[in-house]
Amino acid sequence: MALARRGGIGRYYNVNGWLFVAPALGLIALFMVYPILWSLWMSFQSGRGMMLKFAGFANIVRLWNDPVFIKALTNTMTYFVVQVPIMILLALILASLLNNPKLVGRGFFRTAIFLPCVTSLVAYSVLFKGMFALDGIVNSTLEAIGIIASPIPWLTHPFWAKVLVILAITWRWTGYNMIFYLAAMQNIDKSIYEVARIDGVPAWARFTHITIPLLKPVILFTTVISTIGTIQLFDEVYNLTEGKGGPSNATLTLSLYIYNLTFRFMPNFGYAATVSYVIVVLVALLACLQFFAARERDR
Amino acid sequence: MDMRTYLPRFAAIALASASFLAVTAAEAKEITIWCWDPNFNVAIMKEAGARYSKSHPDVTFNIVDFAKADVEQKLQTGLSSGTADALPDIVLIEDYGAQKYLQSFPGAFAPLSGTVDYSGFAPYKVGLMTLDGQVYGMPFDSGVTGLYYRKDYLEQAGFKPEDMQNLTWDRFIEIGQQVEAKTGKKMMGFDPTDAGLVRIIMQSAGQWYFDKDGKANITGNAALKASLETVGKIMSSNIYKPAAGWADWVGTFTSGDVATVITGVWITGTVKAQPDQSGKWGVAPIPALSIDGATHASNLGGSSWYVLESSAEKAEAIDFLNEIYAKDVDFYQTILQDRGAVGSLLAARSGAAYGAADPFFGDEKVWQNFSDWLAKVPSVNYGVFTNEADTAVTAQLPALSQGMPVDDVLKAIDAEISGQIQ
Amino acid sequence: MNNGFTRKASAILTYGFVGLMAFLSVFPFIWMLLGATNSSIDIIKGKILPGSALATNVSAFFTQVNAPLVFWNSAKIAILATVFTLAVSSLAGYGFEMFRSRHRDRIYSALLLTMMIPFAALMIPLFIMMGKAGLINTHFAVVLPTIGSAFIVFYFRQCTKAFPSELRDAAKVDGLKEWQIFLYIYVPVMRSTYAAAFIIVFMTAWNNYLWPLIVLQSNETKTITLVISSLASAYYPDYGVVMVGTILATLPTLAVFFFMQRQFVQGMLGSVK
Repeated sequence: MALARRGGIGRYYNVNGWLFVAPALGLIALFMVYPILWSLWMSFQSGRGMMLKFAGFANIVRLWNDPVFIKALTNTMTYFVVQVPIMILLALILASLLNNPKLVGRGFFRTAIFLPCVTSLVAYSVLFKGMFALDGIVNSTLEAIGIIASPIPWLTHPFWAKVLVILAITWRWTGYNMIFYLAAMQNIDKSIYEVARIDGVPAWARFTHITIPLLKPVILFTTVISTIGTIQLFDEVYNLTEGKGGPSNATLTLSLYIYNLTFRFMPNFGYAATVSYVIVVLVALLACLQFFAARERDR
Repeated sequence: MDMRTYLPRFAAIALASASFLAVTAAEAKEITIWCWDPNFNVAIMKEAGARYSKSHPDVTFNIVDFAKADVEQKLQTGLSSGTADALPDIVLIEDYGAQKYLQSFPGAFAPLSGTVDYSGFAPYKVGLMTLDGQVYGMPFDSGVTGLYYRKDYLEQAGFKPEDMQNLTWDRFIEIGQQVEAKTGKKMMGFDPTDAGLVRIIMQSAGQWYFDKDGKANITGNAALKASLETVGKIMSSNIYKPAAGWADWVGTFTSGDVATVITGVWITGTVKAQPDQSGKWGVAPIPALSIDGATHASNLGGSSWYVLESSAEKAEAIDFLNEIYAKDVDFYQTILQDRGAVGSLLAARSGAAYGAADPFFGDEKVWQNFSDWLAKVPSVNYGVFTNEADTAVTAQLPALSQGMPVDDVLKAIDAEISGQIQ
Repeated sequence: MNNGFTRKASAILTYGFVGLMAFLSVFPFIWMLLGATNSSIDIIKGKILPGSALATNVSAFFTQVNAPLVFWNSAKIAILATVFTLAVSSLAGYGFEMFRSRHRDRIYSALLLTMMIPFAALMIPLFIMMGKAGLINTHFAVVLPTIGSAFIVFYFRQCTKAFPSELRDAAKVDGLKEWQIFLYIYVPVMRSTYAAAFIIVFMTAWNNYLWPLIVLQSNETKTITLVISSLASAYYPDYGVVMVGTILATLPTLAVFFFMQRQFVQGMLGSVK
């Protein structure tokens, strides 16, 4: 390595290396890094609209005294803690069931479960709002088969609204995660399962003791991707609640709060930028934690 | 041909055609307008544009239709970026947000005080677009409120149209309970994620979330307290059908599930969009509170047109708005007939359409009623934080319905608003 | 005997569970198709049977919306974004994996961190940049910021790990330059990787809402997603028309998915090796 770098080969190697990555680096620097640094600068300012003044750490102090921010933060964490594990587990179970070559019609099932991923967030929010209306198809079906006695106020009760958002995200993204697991399962040697079955290892134990450990890198990857998505959750809540995060802020997320601070409320770009940095820090912390946890378990 | 004679002639032609092009470029003015709702604002603006183009064939209109939240967002982004080509010439702004834009982006909107005669408009509309003695914007549709009721359901419950006039809120709730007992229908649709009803009741008694100076006015606000009490009673007496969001709420009455609708006059078109319900509806003034300053007139929503200061077509845009919206009484008759839009130009009330009886409402003269109520709407200061206050109020509605004392609710609202207003 | 019974029960359970999940996944699509045949009121009331309003809804959609233009805009944005993203990201994925160095590895880690930036934090600065560049209300402004995607670079790098290095060595012996190796060997070999990335990027670009909403200003430049959102938010939205719109907006992404499904699954395979 050190030797190669000194001579002509090293230079050739370097020039080519940088040339290949330069377009992507340039674009990301221009359209991600530069604007986010600009936001950082804005987070130390405060004021109405474009009349911004330097405010030091006033925005950070404001965070602690802002009940709506605390609410948005708790909601976001609730979504993350409840939804990500449910979705990952569901996707894993589905993938291992659909990986069975003896299952008739598995191609159909795979396609069906992946299908939600093709819908746009706007379209599927319109659909979910209609289906989960008070007189909508979901309530009338549940009533007809006797699961509930009176309609569930999906969109107007703080608890059920959260449940609906979790259902919606799970519907949209489970198939997406499942595809990653299915792909990874193609690499697992089938004979491991055969041996385990002959030895009388039950299906559930095969799942927990063979599938999950072998898929660990992919599970880690999808968990990190899902964490990023959930912490930044915006479109679903925005479209399901007409941009309000209601009822009574029960579904408000950090991204939606940033949007409200920028566009619905008296515009305060400085404070909005501060809240967006909370998301950056949060995601970075959680991702590190997940990588760290994965490494710990390896030992 | 000799090159020397040819060249000057060529140059002359080129010059002439260039200046000809320049003249046409200067004359063909296109006014870009942003607004929402293709069946209402967009259609009305197209009508206005068509009228203006008749006398000004050189002016064309580019009316762009976005969702309301999208218009607000694009406007705010455009204004913050300070790039003029990111903005239209004219934009529609909902009245609640007017002061927010005027105060956050000083100099962004063109003052129209010198051109428009504002004495001809409903005073509450003019008040909300005034800042530091200058008036910005052209008052457009009014959100004057009414109580729309199903005559058939109420008759079944034993109530005649006379019984619906000049109600108190307590009487309204009593009627609601009897309607449900006799017909099985709920009295009204109510969206607990929307503070619109609180706003209607509060403004009917001449108060707002903020006082005349724009300071938060929550814990000592008798009208707000009374309207929260009323909404609390409506929720605890269970005379409402819950709705989630706008479309769901509209569905409560278009599907015939509720007996009344209390909202702004702009809903008339939606009510009338159900031809099978023709003749079954009546309109009465909204119920009143029993406190000092209580009236039967209020407002919900409504919006106005604003000209951007940066607009290249500023002069034409202002002239257009002034010619049509401030002077053309006939225009207001057309938009009333076609779209059910009640403008805020008072002179329009003398037109033929306003005096007409509407068969959909059993030949009542509903438009005359609405315009009478319009003149009585109490003028309040919407301030710059109405959206924040609204969020704080809706956040407390579930607690209110579970029986939290109103004074505690007011304290909680006050606490959240003071966290937001900085 | 007992064993046979358990096997049967577990088969029933498996099919029951997978079938239920598949049904729940597909049901909203069925509901959307049914919705397009019903009037607005029937949709609000949750009617589940097909109605007779399909022709009315379709013709109302095509009179209210300049459909050819709107679809052309969406297609143009999605295709441009996809082609450029794939080109730029595969170059970078190849570069990071084939020419490893300490500096580039560090930059790569930093690059992955940009995935954590919420779009809400970039909106205002990006918009001001576009305004200064005079790109407001152009499709160029919609596409540009989406091309550099850390996620897709990451995906290509993962897949490149499976690219046989013997191919590259042999090509070098034959005197091919690096760009020739990339273009004539890497790209054809990695077909299914490109296909999977194509599906992901195309769907994201086609369905994108917030950013196009901010930079597009006129009826002539609007995309189908923006049009649906505006139809659904009228004072009196006609849900039959909205349903027709959502179906038409979903068709292209569905088509891309079905058309490239096989390569998609293969491509995903490469990413997790």
